This record gives sequence, structure tokens and C-alpha cells, in this order.
Amino acid sequence: MISDETIATILRSIYVSGTATLLASVWSLPTSYVLTLKRRVGVVEAVIESLVGIPTVLLGLLLYILLSSSGPLAPLGIKLLYTPQAIILGESILVTPLMISTSYRVLKNSVVMYSELALSLGASKTQVMTLVIRESLPGVVASIIMSFSRALGELGIAMMVGGNISGYTRVMTTAIALGVVRGEFEEAIVLGLVLMAIMVVISVTLKLINKVYGID
Amino acid sequence: MTSIELRGVWHRYVGSNDWVLKNVSLTIEPKEVVVITGHNGSGKTTLLKIASLIYRPTKGEVLVGGKEFWSLTEDEKLVIRRKVVYVHEKPILLRDTVLGNVAYGLRVRGLSNDELLRRCKEVLEELGIWGLKDVNAYKLSVGQAQLVAIARALTLNPEVLLLDEPYAHLDMKKKEVLTKVLSRRSVEGMTLVIATHQKIDSTELRITKTVTLENGEVVNIIMK
Repeated sequence: MISDETIATILRSIYVSGTATLLASVWSLPTSYVLTLKRRVGVVEAVIESLVGIPTVLLGLLLYILLSSSGPLAPLGIKLLYTPQAIILGESILVTPLMISTSYRVLKNSVVMYSELALSLGASKTQVMTLVIRESLPGVVASIIMSFSRALGELGIAMMVGGNISGYTRVMTTAIALGVVRGEFEEAIVLGLVLMAIMVVISVTLKLINKVYGID
Repeated sequence: MTSIELRGVWHRYVGSNDWVLKNVSLTIEPKEVVVITGHNGSGKTTLLKIASLIYRPTKGEVLVGGKEFWSLTEDEKLVIRRKVVYVHEKPILLRDTVLGNVAYGLRVRGLSNDELLRRCKEVLEELGIWGLKDVNAYKLSVGQAQLVAIARALTLNPEVLLLDEPYAHLDMKKKEVLTKVLSRRSVEGMTLVIATHQKIDSTELRITKTVTLENGEVVNIIMK
């Protein structure tokens, strides 16, 4: 019932968005941790939160200009436009503010609370940090899952810098858009349902994490 | 034994211009039972956190055994911190069972599992909550959580134990049990500092000093 191409598109979507999320976590999580240690971060917090809702088409456009053959990166020999790597880069930038913002909120509470607790019970600096990380982990994982969900469901970046090339850069959202334009609703509906199912699984997982670990 | 002296301590939180503590000087001698009273916002919790070496005061000195604590090396600080334990007013528990929570302080000290279990059992039985040992900490009532946090501190057998509103969430029966346990520890030589709104049974617990705070200032010290 589901064609091989559709299955490949689903897997590619998960791979691209998953890689983008992991890449974003490499810089987002340490940034969040550093922010929790700083005292006056109100302005930084406000800027990051405002970037959470950045339109994906705007970011797609900026990346398109940056990566195009006449763009500022072209003289350096960077040719990423219309490759899965371009989508990964774009999505990782897209989810960065969301991941920093959500994980910062988790870490901010944990760092103060568990640092005090560990210190009061005679923990060394390393033991304090280990405890903070251990206790914040479910919240940080929830933040990563939320970011993956945002990356998986975006269309603008994948379309503009990926180019929706069949068997190469086509992901679920771009395939759905193409299906609608062509009037091929069957595949669009199947992909839409799969996307929906993944979102539901993510949502249920988040709720479970919150319930099991008592995250507010 | 460890004495803690706060000398001319002033404290305000980052981003605030208001002093929470103003020129507080207080000495906690070994084996004392010090009760700190005062209205909400009088600075009791801040005073306790400074005396427990968690907060560094904005101004003033904190002397432990005659040495300025905040000018010591990290290793020296750790040695002293392991003798001084603070219990928060709102219990902070880890994502673990009651036993896992109570054992945390012992684990960071590198005790063996047998010794750890023996000490946890002893204290949990003393407080009448050994039956809760396998319960997830998030399923406890506030009163139970409070007792678990106190048990976690007691297993460490610190020289100085500072308790912030330890009776706040306890019913009468649990209050009596806790007072008896604290009284026993005091007789054995543990220094106790208790911040509370509530009247403490002075027939059971031998209070040596009552300090009253008002708007961040010590307004009265009664020696007994």
C-alpha cells in the first residue's frame, strides 16, 4: 500500500530532522547551561524567546541567499544548496532558540535547587554538577524531543534550501506540498497521517516524561 | 567541634537593592541548640543559608572554627561543609526512592553499601518511616517528604545541623517524634540551629539561645 519511495521519504525526514536536532543540541545545551550560571540574562532570554517563532520561510530565504552559487559562501567553495546537509543546517538553526529556551527553563530551576541541595549535603563541585545534570535530564530530553518535532514539521527551509528533489532531499512536508500541487492526494494523505502519528507519539512521550519525572 | 561565627554580615540578592540581612553578628557554639524566630521575610532562611555555608554574604565574615570560610581552598571548604548540613524548608528530593534519597549524602562520602544501608535503616526507623523506603519520592506527602529530607541530613551525623521550619508540614505525632530525635542528637553533642515560627517543646529540647530577627536585623538574643 505504501510505496518504497514514500517509505524512503519518511525515513529521510526522520534522519534529516534527527540529525539537525542532535546538531543543535551540541551548541544549544551548553549555551543553556552557561546562561544559568550568568546573573543578568534578561535581554538574552527575551531575544532567544522572540526567535523561537521565526518564520521558517524567512530563515529558508536567508539560508538560500547564503548558500546560493552567488552567495557569500560560494567563494569558499561551500556548495550545500539543494542537499540534505543544507536542510540539516537550516533546521538545526531553526530549533536552536526553542531548545535553548526550553532547556534553559529546566536548567535554571535545577541548577539553583540541586546545587544548593548537593552543597548542603557535602558534595564536591563535580558531584554537584553530576547531580544537576542527572536531575535535569528528563526535562532536557523533553526539550530535545520538542525540537525534533518542530524540525520534522517545518516546510519552508526544506523546500527552499532542499529543493524537494525526489530520492535525495524530499522529506515528508515537501512531499505533501508537492502531492497537493499535483493533485496526488493519496500519498499526501498517507504522509500527512504518518507525520501526525509521529507528532502524537512525541506528544504522548513528552507527557509521559513529565508525569513519570514530575516535571512542572 | 565546629563553631560558626557570623561577623557583621550583610546580604542582598543579585538584582535587588534591599538588604535581606543587616549587620548580623551571631555565634553558634558547639553543642548549642539555637532557635531563630521572626516573621516571614525577616531573613531567617537567608541567615541559615549563610550559616550553612551555602550563600556567601555580600559583606561581612563567616568564621568556622576561627577561620574565614570563604577564603579557604575548595578542598578545605569541602572538609568543613561535610560537617555542616542544612535542610530546606521546602524539601528538595531527588528522582529516586526514599532510600535512594536518604543515602545520597552517604554516597557522596563514598561509604560502602552495607554501611550506607545500616545508617539509613537506623535513622528511618527512628523517624518511623522505614516502611516508605522503596516508595518513589514524588509520591510522598509534603510531611513525609519533610521527614525524608531530615532523615537524609541525620544519616550524615553532622556536627552542625541547620533546619529551616522543620515542623512546618508535620502533624502533632510526627512533630513529637522529630523533637525526641533532635533532643537525642543534641544530648549526643550535635549542634542544632532551628528556624521556626512554631513554639518548640523546651521541656524535650534543651534550647540554649533564641535569636529574634526583624527586617533582617537581630533584635533580640535570649540566652538560657
